[in-house]
Amino acid sequence: MSESAAILPPSLGWILLALFSVLWVGLGIYWGRRNRNFEDHALAGRNVGLALGSATAAATWITSNTTMLAPQFALQLGVWGMLAYATASFGLFLFAPMAGRIRRLMPEGYTSGDFFRLRYGRVAWGIFLVFTLFYSLTWLVSMAMAGGILLNALSGIPYVWGMTVILAVCVIYTMRGGLAAVIGTDFIQSLIIIVGIVIVGFSVLSHVPVEQIHANLVEERPALLDVLFPAAIMAIFNNLLFGLGEVFHNNVWWSRAFAFRKGLGGKAFAYGGLIWFPIPVAAGFIALASGALDVPVPAADMVGPLVVADVLGMAGAIAIFIIVFCSLASSIDSLLAATSDLLTEDVYRRLFHNDAAPERLKQVAQWVTLALGIFTWAVCVPRVGTLATVLFFAGPLVGSMIWPIVTGLYWRSANTTGAVGGMLLGAGIGLVCYFAIGWYVATLIATAVSMAWVLACAWFSKSRYDWARLGDAT
Amino acid sequence: MIFSAGFLSFIIYGALIWCALAALALAALLIRDMTKGDIW
Repeated sequence: MSESAAILPPSLGWILLALFSVLWVGLGIYWGRRNRNFEDHALAGRNVGLALGSATAAATWITSNTTMLAPQFALQLGVWGMLAYATASFGLFLFAPMAGRIRRLMPEGYTSGDFFRLRYGRVAWGIFLVFTLFYSLTWLVSMAMAGGILLNALSGIPYVWGMTVILAVCVIYTMRGGLAAVIGTDFIQSLIIIVGIVIVGFSVLSHVPVEQIHANLVEERPALLDVLFPAAIMAIFNNLLFGLGEVFHNNVWWSRAFAFRKGLGGKAFAYGGLIWFPIPVAAGFIALASGALDVPVPAADMVGPLVVADVLGMAGAIAIFIIVFCSLASSIDSLLAATSDLLTEDVYRRLFHNDAAPERLKQVAQWVTLALGIFTWAVCVPRVGTLATVLFFAGPLVGSMIWPIVTGLYWRSANTTGAVGGMLLGAGIGLVCYFAIGWYVATLIATAVSMAWVLACAWFSKSRYDWARLGDAT
Repeated sequence: MIFSAGFLSFIIYGALIWCALAALALAALLIRDMTKGDIW
């Protein structure tokens, strides 16, 4: 996008970028001063309280997708589109009881990889690592690319510079402060995002009442109000399952389950879900107002900022810039921290240096964070548009891991044959359906196939797992 | 069959008020944790 098409002047964009960059890096260094070893760095000392825990669960789930894609969903899929997006919160609600159980069964655990290794053995662990690293790295790359693209679209800051600055800032404070810095900044970022969305939402409604939005939709785009909008209803199931698979398997969430104070994990994830649940509607309805406000929308993914800038002028453009910047940072930092912990614990330590000292592991985690940042930057620089769509391929991989995790946590009869077969068969058939039928069925079919295999293996199994073995994560 | 204006108002205002209450609740939780020395 050219500078003239941006909704903020580049100079103002740079000032905002500099202010928030200094704030996050300063806080990261401040919060990281207490970290002595890997446990402090990766899990914030395993003593995070309810306020920070609830906020980080919500903030990490508020990506730039939530604030930018929710309006796009509303514009393309109508009322059901917003509600479909809101179902992603079910991942947090359903993970809440699991988080409490994870903390009880694995009081010394570090990563979701520890669970697969101890529960199902090295083959399942290897498959899990391949799936989760593919997903986490593509998510990280897509977030960093989105950062460069959005900052360029909002303020005219060149793509490479915007992407580089946001990635560098997140790398620096995550390296220095570890999970404590990520969780601390998440609290501030979540408050900024939520308050910003409320102010922007009520301001838009003061310019155009809901009745006028509804009347305009009835006249010009009645499909968006259709109670039986088939594509939108399909999107609900896809979003729901993708959300479940992502939260259940990814170390972003498991590391928080290990980091929250004993007994708080369930409550913190449930509160996080409650905080996140209304955001897709609160941020998404703005797109439905575009017709009533007569705002031209040349690209569906920019509908939110365009409507806000049209209604609120410069103040609205600044608010959107800050909300988007906070949304991006809250997800990129979490992905950097969780993926670096996974590589440090599951690859460096478990495969090569089982007797590494905790202080050494902390240093390794910091260098891995830096390496992840450089890798992500190198992949993002050419701005290959199709890279972001690779994330959609991960839907079947993510869906195929739901049942091995859930049954592995609760059923003693769940076994390695079920987990390995469930992941391979589910992901394989899901990917075939992705190309043969379409994206909207891939996750659903992968999850169903994996479920059938895992349940059948558990049903016929005579083995009974000893839960005490999970406590041996150290 | 389409969603009514009343339903649209309900979910939009409901979501915005919910968000506002969530922000207040987060701030209140932080203050409670700070006074008890339970932040982390």
